[in-house]
Amino acid sequence: MPCSMDMPSTSNGLDHYSQRDPSELKELLKDSTAWHAIPLLNYTPLHKLKDQTLVRFRGMIQDMMDPEIYLERYEVKSSDGSKRLQHGQYHDCLKLATGESIDYNAESNVHGERRTLFVVSVPGLNDWTKEHEGKCSPQPKLLSQTQSPNNAKKRTLDDQEAMDVEDDNDTLLKRKCVEGTKSDSSGNSSAAAPAVLGSEYLINSPLPSRPSMACMVKVYEDFDSYKLNSLVDFVGFLSVDPSLDAATIDTEGFDSLSELQATHPSPFLIPRVHAFAVQHLPHANPLLDKSLQQPADASASEDLSQTSVHKDLRMLLKLCLFDDDLAAEYLLSHLISSVYSRSEMQSIGKFSLNICNLPKESLAQYTTKLYQVLELLLPASHYLAMTLETMNTAAFAPKKDYETNKLVSGMLQLAPHTHLVLDETYMQQGKLEANGVLAIQHLAHLINSQELKCDFQYYQIDYHVNIPVLVLSEGRSMLPSDFVLPINADAKAVELLDESLKAAHHYLQPARLQQFRKYLTLARISPFNVSEEHTEMIQQDFVDMRKANAKSNADDLHGLLVLSRLLGIARGKNALDKETWQLATEFEAKRRQRLQALPKSTVQLRN
Amino acid sequence: MARRDYAQDRESIKTFLSEFCKCDDDGKKQFVYGSQLVKLAHREQVLITIDLDDLSEFNESLAEAVIDNCRRYAGIFSDVIAELLPSYKQQEVHAKDALDVYIEHRLMMDARVRNPMEQRDDRNSFPPELMKRFEVGFKPMSTEKAHSIREVKAQHIGKLTTVRGIVTRCTEVKPMMVVATYTCDRCGSETYQPVSSLSFTPVHDCPSDDCRVNKAAGRLYLQTRGSKFVKFQELKMQEHSDQVPVGHIPRSMTVLCRGEVTRMAQPGDHVVVSGVFLPMVRSGFAQMIQGLLSETYLQAHRIICINKNDDISDKEAELTPDELEELAQDDFYERLATSLAPEIYGHLDVKKALLLLLVGGVDKRPDGMKIRGNINICLMGDPGVAKSQLLGYISRLALRSQYTTGRGSSGVGLTAAVMKDPLTGEMMLEGGALVLADQGVCCIDEFDKMADTDRTAIHEVMEQQTISIAKAGIMTTLNARVSILAAANPAFGRYNPRRTVEQNIQLPAALLSRFDLLWLIQDKPDRDNDLRLAKHITYVHCHSRQPPSRVKSLDMHLMRRYINLCKRKNPTIPDELTDYIVGAYVELRREARNQKDMTFTSARNLLGILRLSTALARLRLSDRVEKDDVAEALRLLEMSKDSLNQTHDHQKGHVPNTSDRIFAIVRELAGSGKAVKIGDIMDRCTTKGFKPDQVDKCIDDYEELNVWQVNMGRTKITFM
Repeated sequence: MPCSMDMPSTSNGLDHYSQRDPSELKELLKDSTAWHAIPLLNYTPLHKLKDQTLVRFRGMIQDMMDPEIYLERYEVKSSDGSKRLQHGQYHDCLKLATGESIDYNAESNVHGERRTLFVVSVPGLNDWTKEHEGKCSPQPKLLSQTQSPNNAKKRTLDDQEAMDVEDDNDTLLKRKCVEGTKSDSSGNSSAAAPAVLGSEYLINSPLPSRPSMACMVKVYEDFDSYKLNSLVDFVGFLSVDPSLDAATIDTEGFDSLSELQATHPSPFLIPRVHAFAVQHLPHANPLLDKSLQQPADASASEDLSQTSVHKDLRMLLKLCLFDDDLAAEYLLSHLISSVYSRSEMQSIGKFSLNICNLPKESLAQYTTKLYQVLELLLPASHYLAMTLETMNTAAFAPKKDYETNKLVSGMLQLAPHTHLVLDETYMQQGKLEANGVLAIQHLAHLINSQELKCDFQYYQIDYHVNIPVLVLSEGRSMLPSDFVLPINADAKAVELLDESLKAAHHYLQPARLQQFRKYLTLARISPFNVSEEHTEMIQQDFVDMRKANAKSNADDLHGLLVLSRLLGIARGKNALDKETWQLATEFEAKRRQRLQALPKSTVQLRN
Repeated sequence: MARRDYAQDRESIKTFLSEFCKCDDDGKKQFVYGSQLVKLAHREQVLITIDLDDLSEFNESLAEAVIDNCRRYAGIFSDVIAELLPSYKQQEVHAKDALDVYIEHRLMMDARVRNPMEQRDDRNSFPPELMKRFEVGFKPMSTEKAHSIREVKAQHIGKLTTVRGIVTRCTEVKPMMVVATYTCDRCGSETYQPVSSLSFTPVHDCPSDDCRVNKAAGRLYLQTRGSKFVKFQELKMQEHSDQVPVGHIPRSMTVLCRGEVTRMAQPGDHVVVSGVFLPMVRSGFAQMIQGLLSETYLQAHRIICINKNDDISDKEAELTPDELEELAQDDFYERLATSLAPEIYGHLDVKKALLLLLVGGVDKRPDGMKIRGNINICLMGDPGVAKSQLLGYISRLALRSQYTTGRGSSGVGLTAAVMKDPLTGEMMLEGGALVLADQGVCCIDEFDKMADTDRTAIHEVMEQQTISIAKAGIMTTLNARVSILAAANPAFGRYNPRRTVEQNIQLPAALLSRFDLLWLIQDKPDRDNDLRLAKHITYVHCHSRQPPSRVKSLDMHLMRRYINLCKRKNPTIPDELTDYIVGAYVELRREARNQKDMTFTSARNLLGILRLSTALARLRLSDRVEKDDVAEALRLLEMSKDSLNQTHDHQKGHVPNTSDRIFAIVRELAGSGKAVKIGDIMDRCTTKGFKPDQVDKCIDDYEELNVWQVNMGRTKITFM
């Protein structure tokens, strides 16, 4: 592969990047292929990277800190009286040789402003996504490894298993390394100061069960373009100077020790990156990211037409959903849904789905098994068993901790397009405590308006999110949802569930999986138009619908429009046609029938 | 920029302080700062606040210079004051604390020990900071707008800046050393070390001549009593939620308070802080890192606690000419109403009523009897007609509001609870939603789902606007001057028009009659409306934005300020309107008797009409209620009754058209007589919600039918 052959030379060149003019580098990085050679910090153990080298970090903005005023240029006086100017940009520490000192009052000092963003690797990233991204990352050679070209050649020849093994080793090493420093630092500082913040608190993963990697990214321009919870790919200089750790600092004279520790964690736990090139990511799927160097085998799969992939995928979902065709259609629509516009209070395009009426006999393992299939298809997703205990204890929405000035993350702080699968079958009768009630409220708010309420203690702020929510429940869910779909389980299919799921897994060969994954992401971001004549048709239909059934309301029309859009997109269309619209109305009618057939609950629940 | 001549500024400051005066009401000159200087000299006052408005009146460029280079001028001011003070001393001052005594002693000793050959000022050896027992603060000009923390940037460094925010954290008030005094263990001489930063390195070696010459290497010991300390507190403040752009995290800022500005705010307080924005010089922190960064803070000069809902300074509340022009258009009443919850389609009359609820009627009558001015509204309707959205919008728009649901709140939660403090065992009152919403709106969703016992707690609030508590040894009456906006679902899922209101909502008449307006929002299929709704929704879906509506909805902030402005007006009802109102009320009662009305008509309706009409006058920013206001109030009342009664029409099968209904009214008016004035007809019909052109049409229609004749001047009709 030509790219991998290039790699060693560029990676050697990386060391000089820090000395090169940043503007020149920026020019270089305008070409997305230039990003290929930069190692991903997410998948490279820190010990393999040198301070001040160029690295890349992909993640979600979890928190934003107050701006820093720093010396962009400063004058350094050396002991012999000579003066020189030093740049402070992209640095955490002053660059002083022994005997030199900084002249704070020099006329030529220039102050600049930079912001620190707290970025965590995308929460809920599924294993295959991580694996693929890891493969895309070039492994930097340590300086001692002189025969790097050899190595690279060997790597390309190696088959996939070998790569995997190596990868695993790397991550293992990394974990160890992180853990090592963790215990080290905590050991050190516990002697120095009694109140030490745990590394988990510092890393602040939205999903504690699936820890993310955290990184503090300092940005120098376009401050307002960064939004909370958005996905960003940064290229910048790594900064892991040990002196950045608050534990090494003489903490005397500081009132807020915990805040200091939170803002200056050990750089080995949370490395710093001084960003100068930024790419906002529209999605988390690495298969479709041109700035990632795709491994050789990925591009090999032949591209099938959208329609045939759609058919295959529908088949697969049908297989997993007790042979229910309608459910497969709805689930597929759900999988490609995305909030594509917001107007005033509405978020348009959301498609939260509640699949209920799951057959009791196969309830126990079915939900997890279904999720296992979804997990393979989606770049990022999270499965949450809604047990009373989790509801009552887990942190759902982010909360500001004023002691440390950090936004402590919650389970719902997820990147756009991260699917949240809520399993209500785990809910038991019992007491929902204050936290649980709040959690339900947060979930309901998330589903209804695709907004996340962050608790700033004195007030709450709503942040836009884009998290499709799938609720699996036995009866109707206690949570609101846009579409409630009672499943029509085929008695035979229920019996054959285990076999069909096995078949599904067998069917999902890597090449096919890649197709499905690409298809889902592409469908999610593809545009869709509704022509003038069709809007008139829709309007007329709605009026007739109202005539026929006074109970139908604006929400139904919203639902129909979203469904027809998604059905159209799924079939590879880019504009609404009559056929799709009719399909949507037909599906909705069927769904309504099923709903009517459901046994009426004696307890009225309001959304 | 030309450098300022500080010596000259010093002189002008001196004249300013001693000569600046204002004329008081009696025409006497008041030396604002002179009198304060006297108090300072007598140690009766510690903080002297220089109002930059005054300074700018005296010398404009000087005031600007102060704003730009605040810290330096604060120093100059304090030096000048120190210089002036002795001349303002009118009597012997008693020492107030140890430091006073100490300073006095040192001065006396110094005068005795001093080498007479040396010509030096007797205070020179002492740092001026030690001698100054006063503080100087600046009050920013009244034209200065409060910034958000986000807007404070590097260019504000050194300037007097005003920032608005909420206090999130504050430290204990601690003493901070301003001047450290040391005594040498060898020679006994005293050394002073002024401290300007947050930390300092103590001096160890005695610098006095004795020790230096003799190489005695005297050690210095800190003398706490002789050192000067100042109260010190560090605050953290954070932006208000409305200052945070979408998708960003609120910013915070450190505020350092010294001396008299400490203990001004607590966490959770909304504050406006004026102070100097400065870079922090911190030592101790490994300079390798911190050397590159400079933390910033605001040195507070003035902290004002504001209630967030009092919408800050008057400056911000005032409408700009542009905004006024936008509001002054003819259809402003409709526009304001449609701007309420613009995402909810139609329901214009309901929105108008809600607008009046926000504005509120006038509280007190001139004759001294206290009658509530707040308007209570109850929205009823089938599930899913956006009642909750309306409530949510109102609670967001109102300056003070509480949103609760009937299910989730008990009577205690709404009114007030008596709590026992676990620490002191004292009984405390904790206000519920209604108390917290005092002078505001309390939105109660799912009103019907409230337990009866809890609901009775609201009775008092709705009419008397107070909450009386008599429990656990606490007997008190709390103010709860709230407007209640309630939403209720019909008892049987859907509104049954054959039953009365009470039956439908299962609320007692005593409570229902306390609502000025009851509104039934129904969702009935109607071709035109449905088509418009469908158009709206498809547009939103296709174009990802709101359709360009005929009336652009007003910004929430603007509405809030306009409503605030309206609330300041106190319109009165002129005498000549009394007859009209009384007549209208009598008519209402009569109608209620005659027709089998499902609603309730009582004396409370009359008060309701008065409230609504005063609210309408307020909305026009007028001091007088006009006839139109009363007519509109009557129309709203009629419409609200209609919304409850109209459902009959469908059952009856025979729908009288407008002309028929107007004819019936005319018939009534005529009574036994034959002639009716058209003016009277118009008046009566408009109060019933008919439009003049409809009346005209009716008159024409029936004239054609030869039912009546219209005279030439079109002022009178005569039945045939």
